[in-house]
Formats: sequence, structure tokens, C-alpha cells
Amino acid sequence: MMRIPNLPESFTSKHAAKGWPLGLAGVALLIIGSFLSWSYDSNILGDLSFILYPGGLQILAIIGAVIGLLLLLIVKGPLADRFGPWLDAALGIRALGVWMLAYMVLVLVAITTESTGLINVDPGGWVSFVGALLLFLAGRFIPLREHRDLSRAKVPGWAEVLAVAIVMAAVLFGAAFALGREDAWSFILFLVFAGGIAAMMIRSGLLTWFGHVSQRQKKVLTLSAFLVAFLFPFTQSGSDANMSIATQVLVFAATAMGLNIVVGLAGLLDLGYIAFLGSGAYVAATMSQSAFATIGWKPPFLVVVLVGACVAALLGLVIGSPTLRVSGDYLAIVTLGFGEIFRFAMFNLDGNNGPNLTNGPNGIPGIPDLQIGGFNFGDEHTVAGIDLGRFSNYYFLLLILIGGVILVFSRLNNSRIGRGWVAIREDEKAAEAMGVNVFGLKLLAFAVGAFLAGLAGTIKAHQDGAVSPDQYMFLESAFLLAAIVLGGMGTIAGVLLGATILKLLPEKLRFFSEYRLLLFGLLLVLMMRVRPEGLVASKRRQLEFHEDDEELAVAVESDLVGETK
Amino acid sequence: MDQFFQQLVNGLTLGSLYALIAVGYTVVYGIVQLINFAHGEVFMIGAFGALTTYLLFFDGQTGVWILPIMMVGAIIAAVGTAVLMERVAYRPLRSAPRLAPLITAIGISVFLQEFVRLFYQKIPDFPSAKQRIPFPQIDVVTGQALEVGGVTIQRSAVFTILALLACSGLLWYFINRTRMGRGMQAVSQDPDTARLMGINVDRIIVVAFALGAVLAAVAGVSQGLQNNNIDFRMGFLAGLKAFTAAVLGGIGNIQGAVVGGLVLGVVEAMATQYIPGQFGGSTWKDVWAFVILILVLVFRPQGLLGARVVDRA
Repeated sequence: MMRIPNLPESFTSKHAAKGWPLGLAGVALLIIGSFLSWSYDSNILGDLSFILYPGGLQILAIIGAVIGLLLLLIVKGPLADRFGPWLDAALGIRALGVWMLAYMVLVLVAITTESTGLINVDPGGWVSFVGALLLFLAGRFIPLREHRDLSRAKVPGWAEVLAVAIVMAAVLFGAAFALGREDAWSFILFLVFAGGIAAMMIRSGLLTWFGHVSQRQKKVLTLSAFLVAFLFPFTQSGSDANMSIATQVLVFAATAMGLNIVVGLAGLLDLGYIAFLGSGAYVAATMSQSAFATIGWKPPFLVVVLVGACVAALLGLVIGSPTLRVSGDYLAIVTLGFGEIFRFAMFNLDGNNGPNLTNGPNGIPGIPDLQIGGFNFGDEHTVAGIDLGRFSNYYFLLLILIGGVILVFSRLNNSRIGRGWVAIREDEKAAEAMGVNVFGLKLLAFAVGAFLAGLAGTIKAHQDGAVSPDQYMFLESAFLLAAIVLGGMGTIAGVLLGATILKLLPEKLRFFSEYRLLLFGLLLVLMMRVRPEGLVASKRRQLEFHEDDEELAVAVESDLVGETK
Repeated sequence: MDQFFQQLVNGLTLGSLYALIAVGYTVVYGIVQLINFAHGEVFMIGAFGALTTYLLFFDGQTGVWILPIMMVGAIIAAVGTAVLMERVAYRPLRSAPRLAPLITAIGISVFLQEFVRLFYQKIPDFPSAKQRIPFPQIDVVTGQALEVGGVTIQRSAVFTILALLACSGLLWYFINRTRMGRGMQAVSQDPDTARLMGINVDRIIVVAFALGAVLAAVAGVSQGLQNNNIDFRMGFLAGLKAFTAAVLGGIGNIQGAVVGGLVLGVVEAMATQYIPGQFGGSTWKDVWAFVILILVLVFRPQGLLGARVVDRA
């Protein structure tokens, strides 16, 4: 993390009282500026040239300012008594100030580069910039205080549920807003804003509190998360482009969750996971109504799903049973080799070099849309006046799939099996000595992971409308792995986040598509060095990567004791 | 019978290449129990180092005296890459869980491939590495193939096999007769005791990476001479095959890597010739190589000559 050096103690203590009015002025200027025009050029950044009618990016600035105002009122004012002792508002303002300043600077840079120079920045932009600068300075002046332990904060149940609802609504609108940005600069600016909010929540302790709340209100959180995901297509008003991205994210996330069972829970590095997705997809393709399908049997889709998943699981057993007995490193390479065998085989089974099963390099195109009962997934529907196109149908289906995968994941994780996996991960020999069936549990993880990937593959084949060997290259497996590593191994939220980031960023930031893989490789290396446990880390995982962190060890231990009580 | 000998020669050539790369895997694994997944990329960079040397200093010439200088260029590039990656990426992770260095290795591998693909053409007057780049043809080691009693032997094949012989000899001398080599043996047997005996373990690890890189660079040049072209993707499959060879011979065992490489090469060549029906032929030979890997792990996980690894898991 970037650190900004603090001002000298003597200086800040003398001027501590000035921080608060300074912050208030900053908030006011930020809001006033946002209601004025930021840019003379109305064709850039989604038009920020109106007065009294703020555009998207200006609304973000206003939201940031309002949050800043709330934090200021917690430091001193009507909210101080209720929240002051609990939330570290001063640190929150610091974080927010830094990020809002970065946001405004980037806005100015964006206007300058997208248009014809700094001349295009209107007074409103400068006013908001000064506001952000004042907020930043205020954060430096306001003194820090000691705070009480947030886990003991007593909040009525309805307020906790409300907090969950607010966060989920923010996620929904954030996602809809982000997908709505068409130019790269707006998207980057949104990311900076989201980063600012996240930093504010972390620093002020809000996130810690939210963590406790989500522990207590797990069901509400899960249900509302699904509700939000369910409502998402309704915010897109039939935009196929965005829904297509969203379905791709979901397929990717569902597959990554499956791999997360293998890598995150059981600690087995599978580098050929994409082959299981591929085998599911190929099974679905060869049994579909496509004119190029090579198998005469065309059963209903529910049968195909089962066959596809079972074929994948069977392949998993065939690969897993010899390699899971030897050291874990072999597994990585053998699975990698298996992934390549799969691709070669699909490439070669074209009738010349083997029986014709896959049409070789051409793959199987023209797979029709899914038909389950009387419902065809290619049809458009209109619900409450909002068009839901083809991709929306698949989106809902994939949502059910990913819900199922998450259910399997969490049930396994919290069972005897899950504890066995933890034991294997941490010390295989000790686990074996304690009577854990090491081989059986590993094989189970491998087979379950393959089964889920096969399941996802059958849907993917219909959604894409075609399968070909090139879709299942090693790089795709590496991407899946990267989603897990980036998000946080063994966590649900982390992997969903990682999958979203890895699929969404390249779609939205096309200008770096040439350097995408280069940055991807670099990201993996840096992640392993700087934060190997991922963005969202479970405490136990964190401990595995930082064995000499005594404080963390104590925290994990007290959590474990709490669990058994 | 001619066909048998022809495939034997082809197999030995291919196998020599695998063996040269496999030594890199096995040396590093024997000492730090790390699969240096990016070793295939070191091989690729070696080939590009040789090409760069040629294009910079000898463009258009074909004299055989260029070859040693190209080789030096290849070795410098490969060793530099390997040592750098050890220092920057692997060393900080030495006590981390095993997943961490493996994932790092994948990252390095992708990074190096993309780095060459994107930036090789940024050197003035250099060809774009996005397609295959022709590798220079050198007198004596390329050109008219030799005919020995009905068997065609490419000159580059002779070069590769001789290179393997020379490298194995030097390697044997280095490991068994020099201080540094015996230090390596000591570290691979017991790093803690070796450290207590005054061996600089960090340096030994760097030497292991460098040693593997030297052989990979030689392999890179051989590959370029054999195929007449190189590309940024060449390290992936070659690396995978070489790892298979290392496992086949017994990981951590240097003789094993050489034997494993040769066996793998011969088996692959024979498979294209003697497996009947549609599953024969060259399109399936890569598949057979991996099938062998899986079979070895089932029936003889310690490899043909036995693994030489202290289990520290």
C-alpha cells in the first residue's frame, strides 16, 4: 500500500482544531463544483458540461462528499455521541481524502487527455478539485483517537439488516454503473472511486463491523446477494453487450468456484481444470441438435447435463487416482499434461487421425439454444416493461448453477470432509497419522471439482453456440487459477471478486488488450510476493502464508475456540 | 529395418534436446524441491539470445566460427534470466507453502513469453516475434543431410547429440570434481547440515539455476538449428516434455534426466512409426508422451533410475 508521510506531530496538534472546518469547506466545495460544469467539451466522459445537472462522474463525487460529511459529523457534531467511540472516522476521512484527491486529479487528467488540453476544464472542475484538496488536508489535521472493540458494538437487528441491504444495493448500482461506462477513462475513474469507498470502510472500521454483521446475519446476506444478482439484468434494459459480458463472468466464476474446491479447500494444484469444462462442453455439443453433432443420440438437456458432468468426473478420477498418491508437485504437471492431451485429442478426433467425434480444429458450430421443457433460451421476454434477451435467460440459469456450486462449496467446507481437507493442506503426514483418509479425500475433491466443471461446460456449450479446441488452452486454466489467487483461496466472496475483476477489466479496458497477458503474468508474481492470501483472505489461510505472525495466530485460535463453543 | 534405425536416430535427436532441458528441472528440484515451471521459457530465451547475437554482429554470414559466439550469447541471456528470476521471484518465497512458488512460476512463464512477443521487435531492425522467426543457417552444422546406409541424419541432429555428450561430460566433472559441485550434492542431501558445514546455500541455489540455464541455452540453439525457426511459444511444450523426461528418469537424479530424455525421445519417435491405425502418426505423439508420464507415475513414481530427493514435505 502507498503511504503518505504524516505531518510533524507539533504542527498537527497546533492546528488540530482547524481540520474540522477545513473538511466541511472541502465537502461544500466538492458538492458545489459537482453541480457546475466540469468540462467544456460535452463529448467526453459521458457529458459533464451541464450546470445544476450533474453527470455520472459528478454524482460519484457528490456521493464521496456526502460520505465525507457523515464522517466529519461523527468526528464532531450530532453523530459523535452515537458513533464516535466506535468508528475511526478520522482515519476514514484520511483514506477518503487521499482517494477523492486522486479521483479529482485523474478527472482533470482525463479531461486534458481526452479533449484538447487543460483549457477544457471548466470552473466547476477546479472548484471540486480544491474541495478534494481541502478534504485531503483536513484528514491530515484531524487527530486520531482510541476506539472500542467493534465486535462488541450493539446494534438493533433491523439496523444490521439495513446495513446489509445498503451494501448490497450499492454493489448492484455500482455494477450497473460500471458496466454502463463506455469509455475507459470513466471506468478507471469509477474504479478509483470504488477503491476510495473501500479504503474508507477499511480504515474507519466499518468493514470490520460489517464483517461481524455478516457473520450474524449470514442468511440475510446470502439471500440479498442473490436477490441483487437476480435483479441485475433488470438494470440493463435489454443491453445484449453488457449481459453477454455478465454471462461470461458468471461461467468463469462458476468454473473458478469449482476449481476453488480443488485448490482452495483441498490444496491440490490443478493446472488442467479447463479440460473438465471442455469435456462437459464437448459432451453437450456432440449430443446437441447441431447439424455437426457427431453422436446420433439427442436426449433432453437434463440428461446431457448429467452425462457431461459424469464424463468430466470420470476423467477426473482417471487422472487423479494415479497422481494423487505422489507428491503434490507432480499433480500440477500431470494435470497440465492432461489439459494438453485433452486439447490435442479434441484437435485430432476429426475422422482422419482418429474416429470423428469432434470435427477436429473446426469444432462443432451451430449448437442451438437450450430448450428445457417448453422454455427456449433463445426467446426474448418482457418482464415489467424491461426486455430480457437471450443472454438474460442464460444469466438466470447460470445464477442457479453458481448458487448450487456455492452451496456445494460451503457445505463441503463446513463438514467433516472440509476439516479433513484443512488437515491435509496444513500437514499431510500428520493428517494421515490422525486417521484422515488422505487419498480418498483428495480424490473426492478432484472428482467433485471435475463434476462441477463438467456441469458448467454443458451450459457453456449452448450459450456460446459452438465449441472448438482453442477455447480450452492452458492459458484459460491459468486464468481460472489467477482468479482464485487474486481473490483469496478458499473463500467464496474472494473468488467471485477475482473472477469478476479478471473478466471485466479486459472487456472494459480494451486499450491495454495487447499487454493483457504481460500484466497478468506480472500480477501473479506480485500477488504471491505481496499478498499471497488474496484480496479477500480467510484468517486461517492468511496464517498459512504468514506462519510467524503471532498476533494472527492468536486471533485464529480464539476464532476456532469460539466455533467449538 | 532402415525405418527402425531412422526412427532411432530421430528419437535420439529429440531425446537429446529433452535431456538438455530436463537437467535444468532436475538440478533445481533436487536442491530446492521446486518445479521451476518457467524453465521452458529459459530455453526459449536462450534461443532468442543466440538469434540476437547473430543479428547484431554477424547478420548475413554463415561461417561456423560464429556458432560458439552465438552459444555464448544464448548462455548469457538464459543464465541472466534464470538468475534474475531466482533472485526476484523465488527466493522470497522459499519458506512459503508450495503452492506459492508454483503459481509464481506460471506467472513468470506467461510474463516471459509475452515479454519476448511484445518487445523483441522494439530492438531496431529486428523482426517481429509475433510470428516464427527464421533461425540463421550455419555452415557445417546445417545444410545437406548425411546418408549413412539408408538412414538420413540431419547435420543439426549430429550437433545436438554431440552437444548432449559434451554437456553431460562437463556436468559430470562439475558435480563430482569441483568444490561447488560437491557443495551442490551436500545441499541436495541435507541443506541444514550443509549450511552448518559452511556451504553458502543461497549461492548453491543460484548456481543450480544457472547450470540448468546453460544447458537450456545449448538446447535452444540446437532447436533453432534443427527447426530453422524459433518462436516465443517454443518453451511451453518443450518444457513440459522435458519435465516428463525428468520424472521418467527420477526427479533429482541428473543421470536419470539424461536417460529419461533419451528414452522419451525414442519412445515418441517409435510411437509415430509403430502404433498402427489412426492413433499412430505424428499428430498423437505428444499425447503418447504424456500418457507415458502418467504411466510412470502409476507404476514407478520414483522414475527409471530412482529419485534422489530427500522428502522434506
